[in-house]
Amino acid sequence: MTPRPLSLLCEVTYRCNLQCPYCYNPVALQRYRDELTTQEWCRVLSEAAELGVVQAHFSGGEPTLRRDLVDLVRAASQVGLYANLITQGTFLDDELLDTLLTAGLDHVQISIQAPQAPLADRIAGTVVHEKKLDALRRVGERDVALTLNCVLHRRNHDSIDEVIALAEGLGITRLELANVQFYGWAYRNREALMPTLKQVRHGETVVAAARERLRGRMEIVYVLPDYFGEFPKPCMSGWGNEFLTVTPNGDVLPCPAAAAITDLRFENVRERPLAQIWSESGAFARFRGTEWMPQPCRSCERRELDWGGCRCQAFLLTGNAGATDPACSRSPDHSVVVALRENRGEVEPVPRRV
Amino acid sequence: MNPASQPSFGKGVKLRYDLDGGVMLLVPEGALVLNAPAAAALALVDGERTFAAIVEAVVAEFEVAPERASEDLGTLFERLEERGFLR
Repeated sequence: MTPRPLSLLCEVTYRCNLQCPYCYNPVALQRYRDELTTQEWCRVLSEAAELGVVQAHFSGGEPTLRRDLVDLVRAASQVGLYANLITQGTFLDDELLDTLLTAGLDHVQISIQAPQAPLADRIAGTVVHEKKLDALRRVGERDVALTLNCVLHRRNHDSIDEVIALAEGLGITRLELANVQFYGWAYRNREALMPTLKQVRHGETVVAAARERLRGRMEIVYVLPDYFGEFPKPCMSGWGNEFLTVTPNGDVLPCPAAAAITDLRFENVRERPLAQIWSESGAFARFRGTEWMPQPCRSCERRELDWGGCRCQAFLLTGNAGATDPACSRSPDHSVVVALRENRGEVEPVPRRV
Repeated sequence: MNPASQPSFGKGVKLRYDLDGGVMLLVPEGALVLNAPAAAALALVDGERTFAAIVEAVVAEFEVAPERASEDLGTLFERLEERGFLR
């Protein structure tokens, strides 16, 4: 039986005014310029709700660059979806924020690049840090849930204590410290962004201590680094199991990084209803469940915990999306990951461009 | 959880009822599936009702011993409180 999707990631645009080198958006963005219209997005949201989805996450790119974002949030809310905005916050002034809240927005996630302006602005490629702090204060004053997010990599990992201190100072109750995931631009820049083992271990210690100290006051979500664990992440809780992503041009993906898998054909909401794509498309069926698994996954006791890890990572690192994720220490290709995590270069990352 | 405390939902936390009768607690970037007693208890959370009153209502509706209900719901409510979903 086809599982029920719970979560829809709406990548409403890949346009962005920042140039973060850790972005997971695809490097080739031309294909996504023909963005879905307001009407098309509203149809996607209502089809998603009928399919059983309960949460819509508006992301990008920078979703507030869509002039119709308020209409999309309202449409989500009207069909009963929990509306979440994932933004870098530079356009979130009082007026936009209040209009979004009136439209039914439930949660805002704002990202910073580092705890202090010079480093944060250097990573973002433009002067935005102070604006982000303003946006964080503005959201904090209102009746809406707020998460502060910071993506960690070699260039800011040593500031992890200051990120937590900043969050405390701002009265943040939910903090997401996300080690960079190597897809899209981040994959291209992996040599410049790969943290050191020392940074990773330090991060774990700091997070464990902060969780203990801030228990009941701040929830800290810690996204583990991709290449440093014994087992792979249970990517998307399984392919085509709970999550759907719709890209700016309407492609429907099981995972936001899946466009990297060039030998799968993903279908588009302009051509077929979302429900049919979810239940019938070959790309979704390909890695659903455990039947597709090779060894060592097939006989592994963790097969329904890890789901074979990440298909996109398997493809990027081995050329075969059906391989065991090389991030797993039991993968025959694990040496690739070991080599990559040792491969840190004093190279400048390539800034993300639109 | 203190019997006299009056829990309310944290920001961005809400109950969601499916047509098939299932109930979920929607939270920032996640959804928790609730069993029937938990759903009934959380449906009574309004910032005014006390925890004791909520337990009493659940005991009246489901065939469950008061001590057991108090303990199970206490564990659930404290877990939700720790994550900021209840306050």
